[in-house]
Amino acid sequence: MKSIQLTLLASALFIAACVPERDFRPHVQGGDAERGRVALKELECGACHVIPGVGGAHSNVGPPLENYSRHSYIAGKWPNEPERLIAWILDPPAMAPLTAMPKVAMSERDARDIAAYLYELD
Amino acid sequence: MGPRGIPHRHKALFIGIGAVALMLIGAIAAGVILLSGAYSTSATKQHFWITYRILELGLEYSVNAAADELPIPRVDDAQALPIGHACYREHCVQCHGAPGIARDDLGRGQLPSASSLSQSARDWPAQNLFFVTKKGIRMSGMPAWEFRISDEGIWSTVTFMKRMAFMTREDYAKFDGANANARCPRPTKAEPYTDELAKITLRQYACDNCHRMEGIVGPKTFVGPSLENWPQRKYIAGVLPNTRENLVRWIRDPHAISPDTLMPNLEVTPEHAEHMARFLLDDR
Amino acid sequence: MRQSALHPAANSGAALIDQLGSVLYVGAALIFVLVMTLAIVGVVAKGRDVAVKHWVIGGGLIFPSVTLTALLLYSLAVGNGLSSIGTTNALQLFLDCFGGRESLPISMDQPLKIHVVGKQWWWEVRYEQPNGGEHVVLANEIRIPVDRPVELVLSTTDVIHSFWVPSLAGKVDMIPGRTTRLRVQTSEVGKFRGICAEYCGGQHALMAFVVVTQSPTAFASWLQLQSQPTSAPSDATMRVGYDAFFSAKCHTCHTIRGTPANGTDGPDLTHVGGRAMLAAGILDNHIGTMAGWIAGPQDIKPGNKMPDDAALTGVELRALSAWLGSLE
Repeated sequence: MKSIQLTLLASALFIAACVPERDFRPHVQGGDAERGRVALKELECGACHVIPGVGGAHSNVGPPLENYSRHSYIAGKWPNEPERLIAWILDPPAMAPLTAMPKVAMSERDARDIAAYLYELD
Repeated sequence: MGPRGIPHRHKALFIGIGAVALMLIGAIAAGVILLSGAYSTSATKQHFWITYRILELGLEYSVNAAADELPIPRVDDAQALPIGHACYREHCVQCHGAPGIARDDLGRGQLPSASSLSQSARDWPAQNLFFVTKKGIRMSGMPAWEFRISDEGIWSTVTFMKRMAFMTREDYAKFDGANANARCPRPTKAEPYTDELAKITLRQYACDNCHRMEGIVGPKTFVGPSLENWPQRKYIAGVLPNTRENLVRWIRDPHAISPDTLMPNLEVTPEHAEHMARFLLDDR
Repeated sequence: MRQSALHPAANSGAALIDQLGSVLYVGAALIFVLVMTLAIVGVVAKGRDVAVKHWVIGGGLIFPSVTLTALLLYSLAVGNGLSSIGTTNALQLFLDCFGGRESLPISMDQPLKIHVVGKQWWWEVRYEQPNGGEHVVLANEIRIPVDRPVELVLSTTDVIHSFWVPSLAGKVDMIPGRTTRLRVQTSEVGKFRGICAEYCGGQHALMAFVVVTQSPTAFASWLQLQSQPTSAPSDATMRVGYDAFFSAKCHTCHTIRGTPANGTDGPDLTHVGGRAMLAAGILDNHIGTMAGWIAGPQDIKPGNKMPDDAALTGVELRALSAWLGSLE
């Protein structure tokens, strides 16, 4: 009796582990997620956004960035992929002239690292 | 103590343990079936006979119980047939076919296949047909039509279906030809606001397919931004301040506000948009 | 930005306090070691003959009297030194003997007078002009020249606050109905963060400010700039921001000299672009934080007096943030 139960349970768990992962997982070339987290804190992006893992980031001016790697689109207009996200972070008004998100001065490296961190948010 | 063997109180305990063990086995078996993908969800593999019968019966009993709650609209008999036929031609014939007219590809690939209404219209009371057409059937290809066709239009369609059940091929073709200009009426008046109605409205425009919302059960979607905690948000689409008026404007015509937005214009009526905005902005 | 009583600015009141603290700590540590040693010796060398009277009188009377008297005189001198910044008080001279390189240079200047008014949850700052004209009004940032005594005249219009720049001076409360004073002076150029040190309501923890110490010439040109009004911008984008300031009714609470905005419930924004920080010392000052603060002050500082309903379009918000950022 017990052995049957155990076998069934074990097979169930084994099968559950075989669910395929998401087909597309965005990945930033040359981006450092930890540096990105620090950049988010120093640039105080939390003044507008809820960002998991960044202290003090709990504002609702911009959309929350939870689960960011799963988002289909950036700003509702652009497919969410690495190079586009970096371009967006560097200069939002250039891509969406009506947006409330300003162009905040930062290096391309900072933007790349920030994108890398955001793509860790599953 | 009984005359031989196990005492009564122990018997109860064994039965209890046995029941729990059975439930556990059942749960594990169900889990294995689900997670192993053993249960086919394809539309080509047919149901088990018993599954089909149970679903069919379930539908009949459920509709029977619920159909009487719907108020029947007043429709002028002379108007009912041409309007009902217009609606049938616009929305139903593609899946259900008509006398002498085959259904489209859309209606051929489904499981269960859309019923041939000649039989349903004979067997089912008009009230039940009205309910199914208006409210749809979940997990099937039959959508709810109450947000796309007015109640009068739906009742007219039911009236037409009842007549259609007794039409020959020629009868239908003649009717079809003579009624080229009639149009199926869209809903004109929304019901008064309730939270439940607002949730139905949001789902009936398929908003839940792109946006997660509080109180709405739907897919775990990340296509559009989550609308949870919406009253706290300051901007709509990052462009307009989050006020009731702006939200209604946005819902009704996103491209007028943000030209490249991927949010489509779903032709939401003004009242439906008001309901949606009110629900989203309500600080529950 | 420096904010530590253990890391004081050179030749400041905080340096004196730190020195006092060090003296007490080291002195107490030495006495502790001495007492523990005696205790151990007393246990180990049991049975030894001891001149009890000598120990009782010497250790119980003479030693404490001498050390505590010295300590008292020293701490009085420190206290006097703190409050006599910028005077020729004789005790100031006394302090010099003990202070060594930490002593404050005697200054014959009239102290620079700055009024600081604590409010929930920001700081109004008013500079008295040398020619006796109108005060120069700003907020949340204080700049002072080095090597010159500064007298801060402290008050409040609502509840008790306390003015504390740990690296420059000690705390002084701001009490409703009273005026208190704090003398500050330093020879070190730098930026120092200050905070409110008396619980004053929900956002007490987010009520901070910045003190910038500069060379006298830099300070003079800064003060001159602060006294100038601004004017309506001519650039098209900036003009959108300027108009948004009024359409969002910011002018009902804020003053921007040189424009029709003359509200007094909130900080003076005439030169807000040049400040190191925003929202009373809690946000860096750049266009992103400016926009976040304008659009969502209640998310950042819940319960503060700035309402959450600016209701500006995205374009207006960015333009307004850019314009305010340009007011240096």
